[in-house]
Amino acid sequence: MNSLSLIKQLIALVIVGGAAFLIGYGVNITYFYDRTPEQPIEFSHKIHAGDNKIPCKYCHLYVERSRVAGVPNVQRCMGCHKIIKTDSPLIQKLTSYWDKKEPIPWVKVHNLPDYVHFTHKRHIKAGLDCSLCHGDVASMSRITRVASLKMGWCLSCHEKREVKNGKDCWTCHK
Amino acid sequence: MKRRDFLKFIGVGAAGGAAGFIIGKVSKPPGAKLIPYVVPDENIIPGVANYYSSLCTLCSAGCGIHARVMEGRVKKIEGNPLHPVNKGRLCALGQAMPQVTYNPDRIKGPLKRRGAKGTGDYVDITWEEAITIISKNLSDIAKSGSADGLYLLTPPQRGNLGALIDSFLTAYGSSNHYQYELFGQRNLYFANHAAMGLANAPHYDIENAKYVLSFGADFTSTWMSPVHYSAAYGEMRQAGKGGRGALVQVEPRLSLTGANADEWVPAKPGTEAILALAIAHAVVEKGWAKGGDLDGWRHVLAGYKPSVAADLTDVSEERIYAIARAFTHTRPSLAIGGDGVSSYQDGVSGLMAVNILNHLAGNNGATGGVIPNPEPAIKRDSAVDFKRRISTLAADAAKGKVKALIIYNSNPVFTTPVAAKLASVIRDAPFVVSMSSFLDETAVYADLILPMHTGLEDWGDDAPEPGVGTRVMTIMQPAITPYYNSKGAGDVFLGVAKQMGGRLSGLKANSFAEYLKDAWRTAYSKDRQMSASALTFDEFWEGALKRGGWWPKATVEARRQVTVSARSVSAHLAQMPARFEGKDTDYPFYLMLYPHSAHRDGRGANLPWLQELPDPMTSVVWGTWVEVNPKTAARLGLKEGDMAAIESPSGKITAPVYLYPGIRPDTVAVPIGQGHTQYGRYAARRGANPIEMLPHSEDARTGAIALNSTRVKLSGAGPSNMVKMEGSTKELGREIIQTAPPDGRSES
Amino acid sequence: MSVLNSIGEKLKSYRVPGYYTKFDHRWGMVIDLDRCNGCEACVTACYAENNLPVVGEKDCANSRAFSWLRVERYVEGEYPDVKVGFIPIMCHNCAKAPCETGCPVYATYHNQDGLNVQVYNRCVGTFTCATYCPYDVRRFNWRTYRPDKPLDEQLNPDVTVREMGVMEKCTFCIQRIRAGKDNAKDERRGVKDGEITPACAQSCPTGAITFGDLNDPQSMVSKLALSPRRYRLLEELNTDPSVIYLKRVAKDGSTGTGE
Repeated sequence: MNSLSLIKQLIALVIVGGAAFLIGYGVNITYFYDRTPEQPIEFSHKIHAGDNKIPCKYCHLYVERSRVAGVPNVQRCMGCHKIIKTDSPLIQKLTSYWDKKEPIPWVKVHNLPDYVHFTHKRHIKAGLDCSLCHGDVASMSRITRVASLKMGWCLSCHEKREVKNGKDCWTCHK
Repeated sequence: MKRRDFLKFIGVGAAGGAAGFIIGKVSKPPGAKLIPYVVPDENIIPGVANYYSSLCTLCSAGCGIHARVMEGRVKKIEGNPLHPVNKGRLCALGQAMPQVTYNPDRIKGPLKRRGAKGTGDYVDITWEEAITIISKNLSDIAKSGSADGLYLLTPPQRGNLGALIDSFLTAYGSSNHYQYELFGQRNLYFANHAAMGLANAPHYDIENAKYVLSFGADFTSTWMSPVHYSAAYGEMRQAGKGGRGALVQVEPRLSLTGANADEWVPAKPGTEAILALAIAHAVVEKGWAKGGDLDGWRHVLAGYKPSVAADLTDVSEERIYAIARAFTHTRPSLAIGGDGVSSYQDGVSGLMAVNILNHLAGNNGATGGVIPNPEPAIKRDSAVDFKRRISTLAADAAKGKVKALIIYNSNPVFTTPVAAKLASVIRDAPFVVSMSSFLDETAVYADLILPMHTGLEDWGDDAPEPGVGTRVMTIMQPAITPYYNSKGAGDVFLGVAKQMGGRLSGLKANSFAEYLKDAWRTAYSKDRQMSASALTFDEFWEGALKRGGWWPKATVEARRQVTVSARSVSAHLAQMPARFEGKDTDYPFYLMLYPHSAHRDGRGANLPWLQELPDPMTSVVWGTWVEVNPKTAARLGLKEGDMAAIESPSGKITAPVYLYPGIRPDTVAVPIGQGHTQYGRYAARRGANPIEMLPHSEDARTGAIALNSTRVKLSGAGPSNMVKMEGSTKELGREIIQTAPPDGRSES
Repeated sequence: MSVLNSIGEKLKSYRVPGYYTKFDHRWGMVIDLDRCNGCEACVTACYAENNLPVVGEKDCANSRAFSWLRVERYVEGEYPDVKVGFIPIMCHNCAKAPCETGCPVYATYHNQDGLNVQVYNRCVGTFTCATYCPYDVRRFNWRTYRPDKPLDEQLNPDVTVREMGVMEKCTFCIQRIRAGKDNAKDERRGVKDGEITPACAQSCPTGAITFGDLNDPQSMVSKLALSPRRYRLLEELNTDPSVIYLKRVAKDGSTGTGE
């Protein structure tokens, strides 16, 4: 094997390796997003919604009135946690946000693209249960996304329930 | 390929893929954040819009608005459907309000000058420092015994901010509150006061008129209260009550309103007043006049025979008689005198002539005519101060009387002729404070720049002018919390008063919002109509905030009868055509300046939506142009898009030529609005400012700056890059705009 | 075979002229040219409502301005007998839309509200629809335009911000239609006439634009559409547009702007 063919082979290897790298990177970015991201405070739905049976709407205030369900404001957290479990380090972390009057930068788990028009209000008023899309939140110690949130997933439900105009593009796109 | 090589490739591929996957995993950008409120605002539901009733502050018409707000950001401005001025509609300029608030060139905090004046070299300071600097300067001036050296320049103030400013000035010891606006209609106020004794602009009832004779009033686009008049125009055309109203427009250059008229009368520039008087002469001569004192009128109008006027005005004798006949026989009729007649050096005379026409046809006080407005609900000294004008300000400055100059929300360096020397007045004044949201041509000379809240962030109120026949008070309330470190003008004055104390200690309110509410409380307790509308003040106030202000529910108000006497007007009539600077041999063309439909006096030029909005008549965007009759252009060898040098005895600009059939061959027209040297990235160094060509010519009675006051010459100056959006201006038989015959009900 | 037959039947039903009357609504617009004064308040309203980008002077010169709605002006005659006419033109939401026949990826189609809609996510930017449109109302994103910060604070969250390579056009403010229907649904009723207005109709200072459901004979648009002054733009092309104009009234009855 002479040096020229060695260089040729090396170049080919680099090209193959690089292409594989890009494909691997792309596959990860596109298909393996984080369904259970780490949150700034290890908030447990299991304790709140599960063990203590706090209804969803107690914290997600706007779900019946708005397109967004609403993440509870810090004051609402403090409403209970001024008294409850103030010795826990997690609650102390919460208190430090409150003392600094800073919002908690939660990481979004259910994120829809800008071109999607989705409204919680319509779905709740149609009598759907939160768990239909969000899974058994009451058993999750860290919130995780169970639905794909892909268009096919939306449409399969719309079709099953025979939603009026439920398959029209402009019902959900904007 | 050998097996070993193949395996190598497989290995490298797998390793690369795995590395990519892992790096993708590690380097993945963090997910979108979900930021909650720390303390929730009770009024905000995320994802649901709130609407706040407020006031449009972009022009002086005083339209009521609804601001659509989501999560603390203004999304859209729409007209307030309940408001009597604009009835839910809004013009292009008003709708661009969010672009003022979120403009990238807004000043973000108080600034103090560091470099030379005019260089725009400023350092950031705090509000406390800014207030201290003002207080110290004003105290020093007061101590030296020249408190009257404090000059204040603002647009006309009709609400309680004006009341606050005036009590501040009075307490301080100055009487120099200059209220200036380029299109402030000073001549109209003067003429209506002299002829009919009206302190406020009357309500022109276009809606119910069946024959509107407009002398250069571009009332559907820029004049006075364009949205209100546009709504009235629509009703006049098609509301169906007694048929379609007709519109006749007298002007040398077709404005947007003129383009919609049934008849265009292109009288010679400067002779509109004579034409109006000739029509009046014809009315009296033929015995169509109403209101008595015919001998007096014959005497006053003796010099304006239609046969003589026809030569002067370029309008035939027959046509003058025809207009006179239609004007008096179509009922109700209405004559309006706009910028076209009032923007001459002798501007009052044209408006006087229009008042005579309305009187002789019996239109004053009649439905569909000129209706005097009731006293404004916000009690202010509403008479215009004709003594304090741009020329007296410059004269006082030359004498060294100006010790401190506070300029609020006004850009006089841009809107006055160079010959008025306002730039040097402001540059040379010892202490200049600019209260402005933008670094404009005036603010750049200031020692101190105080960024103001925009209309969407501040409190305020307004009594619309011209009124609409009923009493209206509009409230301006903050729709959003201030986006930058700005303040409201009222709070600045109160802050200075608090710090200075002494004779200013009478101004005790903690904030302008409090001052405003107190003023409304006083008005409520004194005014029977107001106190009858709600049981308690709090209820009244809350209702007013929701509705956008207070106006009585469709009440019939006693209409004042006004008459015009021959004696009162005779001193103010035009003896000859208006004067233009420059000999017609050297400067063959009349120059007509008019406000750009969206930029008005230049204030809209920093808003990208308005820069990209095609001019309705020419479709030009992002620049200035000069309108030239195609025949004139052919004679001069100018083609569309050629750059033309336009030169008057006072100045010279260049602008691209637009061939415009709707203009007299002896006239050229240029819109005002572009040609800024400052005022942000969208406005600066774009187009030309035609005001630079004007001499400083004022109506001696009122101090209104004459925009039609010079002749110009035109010459080619190479190619230009004029951008216009139109394709062809011809329909080429495609029947795009189809027309129908009149339905036979309308008479004209 | 029966499957094929049923598909055939369905296709036939879609070929009957006027089949859209079976739809929930047919949103339409009546524009009174005798009221319209050409002031272009509607154009700015459209920019504000629909997140239309400002493209700047250079792109304007290349005819890339984004106005979904424009006011055309025609000037006929010579001084001093000049006649000027104004006509606002936006997407006509034609019932027989030429643009729909051209799109290779079905990015533009008719929905159940009688609207001709454009699906941005499907669009691959072939420009076919814009070529087929006789009214020249389709606008193409030649670049990804973003407003200078912080002008983006104003962007309407109900309307997406489009990117390069996508065709777009007037939607009759579909987000306002959706909001109107949403409100009606909350109150368990149908949509009332006059409840939904697109931004242009809402802002129009002269009240020239009326919006409503052409399928509802009691609606204001249906009544206005019966006016003897009615006409539709380029009617000879048989596109069956949902925008109906009312003729300008000429004073002498013989001539209009197009002498």
